[in-house]
Amino acid sequence: MSTAEIAIHVPRARRRALGPLATLARRRFQLTARTPRELFVPLLTPIMFALVIAPALKAALHTDASYESFVAIGTVGLLIPLNTMFAGLSVIVDRISGAQPELLTAPIPRGLLVVGNLVVALAITALQVGVLIAVAVARGIHFNATGTGILWFVAAAVLFTVGMYGLAEILANRVPRQEEYIARVPAIAILPWFLAGALFPITALPGFLTWVAKFLPLTHGLALMRYGLLQDASGLHAVWGQGSTTTMAALSLAVVGCFALLLTAASIRVFSRSAVR
Amino acid sequence: MNAIEVTNLSKTYPGGVEAVKGVDFDVAAGEVFGLLGPNGAGKSTTVGMLTTTIQPTTGSARLAGFDVAEEPLDARRVSSVVFQESVVDRSLTGRRNLEIHARLWGGEPREAAAWIDELAGTFGLADLIDRPAGTYSGGQRRRLEIARALVSHPRVLFLDEPTVGLDPRIRAELLELIAGLRSRSELTVLLTTHYLEEAEQLCDRVAIIHAGRIVALDTPAALLAGLGRQLVEIRVEGSVNSALSSLRDRGVAGEDAFAVGSRVTVPLHEHSSGEAIAAIHDLGLAEAITAREPTLDDVYLRLTGDSLAVAA
Repeated sequence: MSTAEIAIHVPRARRRALGPLATLARRRFQLTARTPRELFVPLLTPIMFALVIAPALKAALHTDASYESFVAIGTVGLLIPLNTMFAGLSVIVDRISGAQPELLTAPIPRGLLVVGNLVVALAITALQVGVLIAVAVARGIHFNATGTGILWFVAAAVLFTVGMYGLAEILANRVPRQEEYIARVPAIAILPWFLAGALFPITALPGFLTWVAKFLPLTHGLALMRYGLLQDASGLHAVWGQGSTTTMAALSLAVVGCFALLLTAASIRVFSRSAVR
Repeated sequence: MNAIEVTNLSKTYPGGVEAVKGVDFDVAAGEVFGLLGPNGAGKSTTVGMLTTTIQPTTGSARLAGFDVAEEPLDARRVSSVVFQESVVDRSLTGRRNLEIHARLWGGEPREAAAWIDELAGTFGLADLIDRPAGTYSGGQRRRLEIARALVSHPRVLFLDEPTVGLDPRIRAELLELIAGLRSRSELTVLLTTHYLEEAEQLCDRVAIIHAGRIVALDTPAALLAGLGRQLVEIRVEGSVNSALSSLRDRGVAGEDAFAVGSRVTVPLHEHSSGEAIAAIHDLGLAEAITAREPTLDDVYLRLTGDSLAVAA
C-alpha cells in the first residue's frame, strides 16, 4: 500500500430533488434483498391462513365459498402489519450495526431516510400482497373486482401500509434493541387483526369491542379492501351504519389517510429527534 | 477563513453529565489538528457536535464558514466523518458503500465512479472493492471507511479514533495512509486519539482535552518544549511532596516539576541529566531514577495529574 496522494477538489453543489431519495431507497432495497427473511417470512402466516386455515374453517363451519374470499382479504390485513414491522426491524439493525451513523452526516434532510425506507417497505408489501392474491386465485378463491374497485383496494392498502410503516419506524426509534422491538410486534401487528373484522364481521364481536374495532384503521382498511375486491360493503356498513356506499368508502379512506399522514409525520419527527442527541 | 471555528462549545447530556465544558479552538485550512485525551474526555462529543449529530448546549461552531446549527446541510456537505466504530453496510460491496456516499453528497455518477477507482487503488482496495464489506478484515474496512469519507471531496475530514482496535501492523499502515493526507493543502483534518504517538506523528497542533476542557493547545514540539530537553523521573520512598520541596530547595527542580503517586517528574531546563541524577543521589530520596526525553504523556500528566495511557 503506498502513501496516499489524494487530490481534494472543491465540492460540487449538484443536487437533484429525488436523487438522494432514490439512492436511499435503492440502498434499502439492496440490503433487504440480501436478507431473504424480510421478503419471505411475513408471507408465511397470511398464505397459511388464506390457503389452509380459511378452507378448513369453511368446511368446519359449513360456510360457503365467499368465506374463503372474505378471509383472503382479511389476511392482507395481517400481511401488511407483519411486513412493515419486519421492515422496522431493519431500522434497528441499521442503527446498531449498519451505516445509519454515516447517513446521518449526509447533507440531506434526515426525514429522507425514513421516506427512503418507506418507499421500499411499500414496494415489498405491494409485491407480497400481489403474491398472496395470485396464490389465492390459483387456489380457486374468487374475487369480484372492477377497475374502480381495484383503485379502492390499492388506495386502502397503500395508505394502511404507509401508516403501519410509520408506526414501525416510531417503535424502532423508541426501543434500543431488537429483542424489545420483537416483543411488541404481536400487540401491534396481530392483536388488532383479530378485532378488525379479518376473520369475521366486527358485528360478531361483543358490543364494546365492536366500538373499539370502529376506531382501528385496520377495520377501515379491510372494509375498503373488501369493498374494492369483493364488492362487499358489509364492512363499511358495520362501521358507518346506513348511507351511500361511496360516502362510507370515502370516509373510511379518509380515516386510513389520516392514519398514514399522522404516523408518517410522527415517524419523521421521532427519527429526526432520536438521530440527534 | 479557518476551516473549523469553535467558540465556547459545550454539551450537557440529559441527566446533567457535562461532557464538554466550553471549548474554543480554530483550525486553519489544510491543518491537521488533534484532540488528544482519554476515553470520556469529550473528544467524540465534540466531533458529534461538529458533525451535527449532537446538539450543542451552548456555543457555536463553523465548518468552512457554515454554522453547524444554522446551516447543518451546508456544514455536512463540506465534511466527512470516519467513525470510531466500523460503520459500513456489510452486505453491500465496498464499491457500493462508496457510491452511496458519493450520491448522497451530490457527486456526479460517472465522475464518482472514476474517483472511486482511483481511491480504491490508492488505499490498496482495488482487489477487494467489489466484494461485500463484511468480508473485509478490520484494517481493510477502516481503509474503506477513509476512502469513503474522501469520495465527496470534503474540505474537513473528521477521524474519530481511527486506529482503535487495530493490530499494530495495520495501525502503522493506517497512520502512514493518514499521514499521506497531510500532503494535500486543501484538506483539513480533525483527528481524535488517545494515542500519543499518533498525535505527535500526524498533527500540526494538538489540543489536550481533559474532563471536557481543553487544558493545553499548541504544536506537539511546543508542548514538549515546555518540559525541557530531558526529564528525570524519580520513584520516591517517602512523601513525594517533601521530596519535591527538597528538589526545589536544592535547585534541581523548577516550578514545573510535578508529583503523581510515588513518582516525581523533574523537567530539566538548565541542568544535564547527569548533574540532576547526582544531586538526587546526594539527597538520598530516590528508590529509582530514570532520565529520558519528555513525551505528550508527561505534558498530559503535568496538566491533569493523570497518565493518558492509564486514563485511556
